Amino acid sequence: MTRLVEMTEVRKVYDGGAEHPALNGVALGIDRGEFVAVMGPSGSGKSTLLNLIAGLDRPTSGRVVVDGRDLGRAGEAELARYRRDRVGFVFQFFNLLGSLTVLENVMVPAQLAGRSRAAARGRAQELLQKLGIADQAHRYPARLSGGQQQRAAIARALVNQPLLLLADEPTGALDTRSGEQVMDLLVDLNRGGQTVLLVTHDAKLATRYARRVVSLIDGRVADDVVLQPSAAQPADVVRIRVEEAAG
Amino acid sequence: MSLKYGILGLLTERPLHGYEVKIRFESLLGGSWEVNIGQVYTTLQRLERDGLIEADGERGDRGKLAYRLTQTGRRALQDWLSRPESEPQQLREEIYVKLLLSTRLADGSLDQLLAAQRRVYLQRLKDLSELEVRARRDGRDDLVLLFKGAILHTEADLKWTDACAEEIRNSNQKGKEAS
Repeated sequence: MTRLVEMTEVRKVYDGGAEHPALNGVALGIDRGEFVAVMGPSGSGKSTLLNLIAGLDRPTSGRVVVDGRDLGRAGEAELARYRRDRVGFVFQFFNLLGSLTVLENVMVPAQLAGRSRAAARGRAQELLQKLGIADQAHRYPARLSGGQQQRAAIARALVNQPLLLLADEPTGALDTRSGEQVMDLLVDLNRGGQTVLLVTHDAKLATRYARRVVSLIDGRVADDVVLQPSAAQPADVVRIRVEEAAG
Repeated sequence: MSLKYGILGLLTERPLHGYEVKIRFESLLGGSWEVNIGQVYTTLQRLERDGLIEADGERGDRGKLAYRLTQTGRRALQDWLSRPESEPQQLREEIYVKLLLSTRLADGSLDQLLAAQRRVYLQRLKDLSELEVRARRDGRDDLVLLFKGAILHTEADLKWTDACAEEIRNSNQKGKEAS
């Protein structure tokens, strides 16, 4: 595997927050094809980290290099291109455009990237098919369930074949069942080679789906661990203590 | 949990002999415990002595004796099942003891202990989630509930290690500011 993201000595200080940097010396490398969960409580720096990798913000110091591109030094136009062509976003609240149909929502980033309407439509239809919501293509987002809207958002994130899929609490607004389906979908995409970065405060979600779990606390990487695939038998994990009845 | 009520519970289904009790226990809990056969026999004898179970017919095949529930046993089980648990919470894991001792030793190893313990909990969460998925797939809704409980406990354990680490960071910070 080759390195896709390399963060070195990254600090991010927001205006007036010099006492409490949002990120304080973060080093993190992500290889192509990895499924990494970044976990931490609110205020730990998760969103800042995501925004830096996404090219939405620049580090105060240190380097954020993605696919050989130093994002801190890239110009605005280059960053905008990077966000459009190289990164796919999935948000907690889907962020679909309410005035466009599902199909049109998915087509937008492809058309912005210069694809013809026909090519964008073809790619969008193919993705909706793959994600199991082809029958919803001509409906408006508000008519869809949360799980369907998140699938549409994932299709939109994938339309330009991004190097990196960034998912920020993607199940936060979904019921358990829909959340599991969305996560299973991300796992399938990862098996197909898609690099996935999941950001969540939920330890169960992080450990269940990601192989590697990075824990952020107070703007620092507190832990970075590769978990073992689970082949455990119940008795290896949980035991119920049996007490002999007295007397 | 007490073996006594576990056995009474199993005997509501049909009469069983000692070895069958052991096997049923283990499958009831999805292999999440092993029951000592000696313990099972001792408990069966006590239950019989106390009139909660009785022999079901004569000694059969290879001298095996099956037991069935008596009316008294059935009432005792119903009573136990309907009673909420009000025992003091048991913090059985040794990590609690290690923590209490480490804070007194002050050799700085507490950070590492907590970090290592946290990894154990992360892996456990992954394993338990997988067991929950498997139990659901196998139609074992009772085990799904058991694993859900274990998952919630592990999430609490994880939060607890984070809270400990935060306390330590804060007190270190205070120490620095004071010096």
